[in-house]
Amino acid sequence: MTKYIIKRLIGMIPTLFIIVTLSFFIVRIAPGGPFDGERALPEAVKRNIEAKYHMDEPLLMQYGRYMFDVIRGDLGPSYKYKDYDVNTLIAGSLPNSIVLGSMAMAVALVFGISLGVLAAVKQNTLLDYIPMCLAAFGLSIPLFVFAPLLQQVFAMTLGWFPTTGWFMSSDAPLRTALLPTVALSFAYYADIARLTRSSMVETLRSDYIRTARAKGMKNSTIIWKHAMKGAMLPVVSYLGPAFAGILTGSIVVEQVFLVPGLGKFFVQSSFNRDYTLIVGVVIVYSVILIVMNFIVDIVYAYLDPRISYK
Amino acid sequence: MNDFSNANVLLEVKDLKTYFKTDNGILKAVDGVSFTVHEGETVGLVGESGCGKSVTNLSIMRLVPSPPGKIVGGEVIYRGSDIMKLSEKELRSIRGNKISMIFQDPMTSLNPYLRISTQMIETIRLHQDMTKQEARERAVTMLKLVGIPSAETRIDCYPHQFSGGMRQRVMIAMALSCNAELLIADEPTTALDVTIQAQILELIKSICERFKTAVILITHDLGVVAGMCDKVCVMYAGRIVESAPTDELYEKPSHPYTRGLIASVPKMDGKKEEKLFSIEGQPPNVIDLPPCCPFHPRCDKTCEVCRHAYPPVKEVGKDHFVACWLNCSEEERQAALNGGSN
Amino acid sequence: MALLKKNKKNESATNEFDQVIVGTSLTKEAWKRLQKNKLAVVGGIIVIIYALVAICADLLPLYPYDQAITSHRNLRPSLTKTAGELMLEQEMKNLFFQAWRGGRLEVPDEEDALIEQWVRESKTNKVWDLLYERGMAALEDGSFTWSSSEQRRIDNVLEDIETETLITIDSVSADLGDGMKRIDDMSYDELVSLYAGLLGTDVATVESSLYNEVSATVSNELRANDSTLSGEDLTASIEMEMDAMGRDGFENRASQNLVAYIEQLAQRGASSDVNALISSGDAVLPYKGVFDLSSGLHVELEVSRMHDRHYYCGTDYLGRDLLSRIIYGSQISIAIGIVGTVTSIFIGILVGALAGYLGGKVDYYLMRFVDIMYGLPYMLLVIICMAIFGRNIVNLFFALALVSWLTIARMVRGQIMSLKNQEYVEAARSMGAGTMHIIFRHMIPNSLSVIIVYSTIRIPAFIMQESFLSFLGLGVQAPYASWGSLIGDAVSSMSLYPYKLLIPSIVMVVFLFSMNFLGDGLRDAFDPQSKNQL
Repeated sequence: MTKYIIKRLIGMIPTLFIIVTLSFFIVRIAPGGPFDGERALPEAVKRNIEAKYHMDEPLLMQYGRYMFDVIRGDLGPSYKYKDYDVNTLIAGSLPNSIVLGSMAMAVALVFGISLGVLAAVKQNTLLDYIPMCLAAFGLSIPLFVFAPLLQQVFAMTLGWFPTTGWFMSSDAPLRTALLPTVALSFAYYADIARLTRSSMVETLRSDYIRTARAKGMKNSTIIWKHAMKGAMLPVVSYLGPAFAGILTGSIVVEQVFLVPGLGKFFVQSSFNRDYTLIVGVVIVYSVILIVMNFIVDIVYAYLDPRISYK
Repeated sequence: MNDFSNANVLLEVKDLKTYFKTDNGILKAVDGVSFTVHEGETVGLVGESGCGKSVTNLSIMRLVPSPPGKIVGGEVIYRGSDIMKLSEKELRSIRGNKISMIFQDPMTSLNPYLRISTQMIETIRLHQDMTKQEARERAVTMLKLVGIPSAETRIDCYPHQFSGGMRQRVMIAMALSCNAELLIADEPTTALDVTIQAQILELIKSICERFKTAVILITHDLGVVAGMCDKVCVMYAGRIVESAPTDELYEKPSHPYTRGLIASVPKMDGKKEEKLFSIEGQPPNVIDLPPCCPFHPRCDKTCEVCRHAYPPVKEVGKDHFVACWLNCSEEERQAALNGGSN
Repeated sequence: MALLKKNKKNESATNEFDQVIVGTSLTKEAWKRLQKNKLAVVGGIIVIIYALVAICADLLPLYPYDQAITSHRNLRPSLTKTAGELMLEQEMKNLFFQAWRGGRLEVPDEEDALIEQWVRESKTNKVWDLLYERGMAALEDGSFTWSSSEQRRIDNVLEDIETETLITIDSVSADLGDGMKRIDDMSYDELVSLYAGLLGTDVATVESSLYNEVSATVSNELRANDSTLSGEDLTASIEMEMDAMGRDGFENRASQNLVAYIEQLAQRGASSDVNALISSGDAVLPYKGVFDLSSGLHVELEVSRMHDRHYYCGTDYLGRDLLSRIIYGSQISIAIGIVGTVTSIFIGILVGALAGYLGGKVDYYLMRFVDIMYGLPYMLLVIICMAIFGRNIVNLFFALALVSWLTIARMVRGQIMSLKNQEYVEAARSMGAGTMHIIFRHMIPNSLSVIIVYSTIRIPAFIMQESFLSFLGLGVQAPYASWGSLIGDAVSSMSLYPYKLLIPSIVMVVFLFSMNFLGDGLRDAFDPQSKNQL
């Protein structure tokens, strides 16, 4: 197991390397740069700035310099937010995004798994139809429709929740956090509930569950002790893509509810061609994603003894 | 073979009916099956695939997946109480405790995500008041009994670390770990290698003799039945067509189907050029079966009445019952024909 | 009939009694199962309706989706009222509000308080509706009358509604010496000489001004894609674009401009005749007529009252018909969904089939590549690409298709691997069939059901991604619309004009709902065993 973990950790390096390289060159081969635009700078000034950020050097040289910095953990200065470097910008906003994302994931998992199991056990009853209808709805309504609607209905019309803001800096933390979390988690609740239901239904039909019944075990014990592990496997392997989706989805939620997270920087910096900030945000997102995938694999191995990591 | 007719009746199945609802209609998988099992007796249930053997036994334990299956009628009387009428809780105290099952495919019947120890200990503690340690010791004893080498360490393995034969041994150990009175073995050797098959059957036989456990052995292999069973029930299309003590059945098979089955067992002493006997045709689709003897299209002694009514059950010898028009008088046939055509 | 059927059934049961059950093909079975699934059937029907409406959008009696009428901005949807009535209503709402502010329109005290509160909460719609109701009642019983300036504003609106007309040119023809010819059918040279004749200048002048116009358009397009372009870069890019366009491309664009100019001239020329007709009372609007202008142009046109239009779904902030925008938006959204899915599936099949069939090193490297791509936060890369390489539909479509073939490649590979060892493939190989032949004639058709099922599940996902980008402003650009861009435009003003958000959202969600149900149904029908793949 330890060996496998180490192997996987080493395996992350090429992926990260490719991500950094790809995003570095994509942003730079495109026409236009961070310092043209707004108003035309005098040629000399522009050259000065470019020299300051080493943009007058050949591309490969810039690349080498950047890679070296990244390995040391320095993501460079921001081109647009003067006097800030990318590390500071990310450090200021990343925690908000992570808190929002993990709350949403937790909500999606708790509700998705419990309601999915309920639906599987109470097949073809109201307790099956209601969660599954909800899930079908969650699957079909895009986040960028759902989030504004929630805001409109519950915050503006009914006035139950604050419309925007972020709970870490608010006096009613729970009420502020609820809407963004619900909005972000809904689609993943839908996927997880459907996945849990179908794999639970299939597991409950399997031979070893029949054996457990023949042994005279209680239904609840059968579900939680015998069926749960097997039924959770597809859900666990879905978590990797789900994390990726929550990362992207948080861009919308952060925009609608004005959460001071990383997503805002990402879209803005792409428009601004703030090279270092774009690549920095991509690196951070990728690291989160890769680490999450890694954890998912470990959990999978823990759940399924048949997988041997040699 | 032993005669159990004087022993106490352990289990009595009366007119059991289990139907499945399918897209094409009602599938009568079990349609009026009756038989009895005495204490310590081994009963064989023989028939082609799909004739309702397994469903009969799942119905006895009320394990038929519902929907689509439903037990629509009949009684299963175990020690005086009807299993069909028991509460879920009472039923659970019988399952795995008094009546245990082992299944066809040992590869999928054990939970692949739990250790053998977990699965065995939970079974033992479910039905018997034991501490974890005691239960574990009991489990190890049982594993040793069924011939698992170095059972003390192997008990902590996962099922996939065992071979098929070993897994079936584990299943047997688990099934008998609570001193069950009746073991239902649903084709326990079909999925195994031929060499292992004999070992497993021998194991079931010896261990059940030792614990005085009655056995219902489901199989399609008449050879197995001859070696193991005291009594045989032959099933065809959801009904028992002939039941008799094993020796009697082999000596005087009365139903054409039984005769065909016995004739199609390959014999070692047969001449080389001799062609293997086989029953022509295939078992019928048991959806929307018209009232008739379901075997008549494949039977070589068909007469008019076979096409129009199901034959009554007749006793032709001691404990030997047959459902075939050949054993009925001419008047009865005529009556059935007239009744059927009206 | 019922009796007959029953008899037949009994008979067949007896006859087929000892026969093997007749086999039906897998597709037939699946089709039967699908028909049993009511939700999937309803979903399928709705999807077909959407597709028909989107395909036939040009044939439907819709207002042009990009025609903006300034005085029709932000009109609410109404099934009965015309645009003019809505304009009047809006004007009166404003006036009532001002009158209430000035204290001239009096309402009960508790309503005063309520309105105050609404104003604070910026619930403008509620304020307007209430005051309109009260104001109209007050006008009725005479407790409130318009002041003269207010009356003038209302009269102005009324007059506009009465008089303003919209002239739509159906066709313009001209005689170039060989009989009447529609300008749509004319060649570039004919158009240039016609236009020069109309203006009274020579051909060379017209051509040079056309060249300037086209290059100006090109420059605008370039700057729309890349806002940072300026100075020498821009000039160079324009020249490159113009060169790439070639003579034919230039003539195409110039012809479009010319047609528009000539139509404008024709409209201007005809408008005095039209006005004369209307004021003389000879023409009843809407009026269809033919005019021969003094300039030699022959014009067929249609005159309608501008404010007689019905906006069943309201209008947007530029005064464009929302219904028409939604339908044309559906066209784009659905098209991107389908084309994108087809492309990604094509790439996926190619890669998956090669990896699965060839195996060995090819398989290893291809799958390693797929693994790495899986680890990428690809939606972010798409966002970067869109932001940097310009926002147009083609880019959008490529960016999405290029990253979404991964799953299908894995799936096809798995299918091919399992089919590879089947006897019929061996048989084909033993008869000397080539690799490509085996892959495309034997293996792909056999995994087709899985692929079809997967693609129906893919389409909604694709549409969601497209609209997500459009919502962020990175996808479809004006004047085109897609569901995502319509919703994105509406979010900022959703409390004032909720219909702008709600209608496109409902349209989109209903489609995705149906598509998902159809996809689920197809999957269950084709693949009843494995229900837990997503």
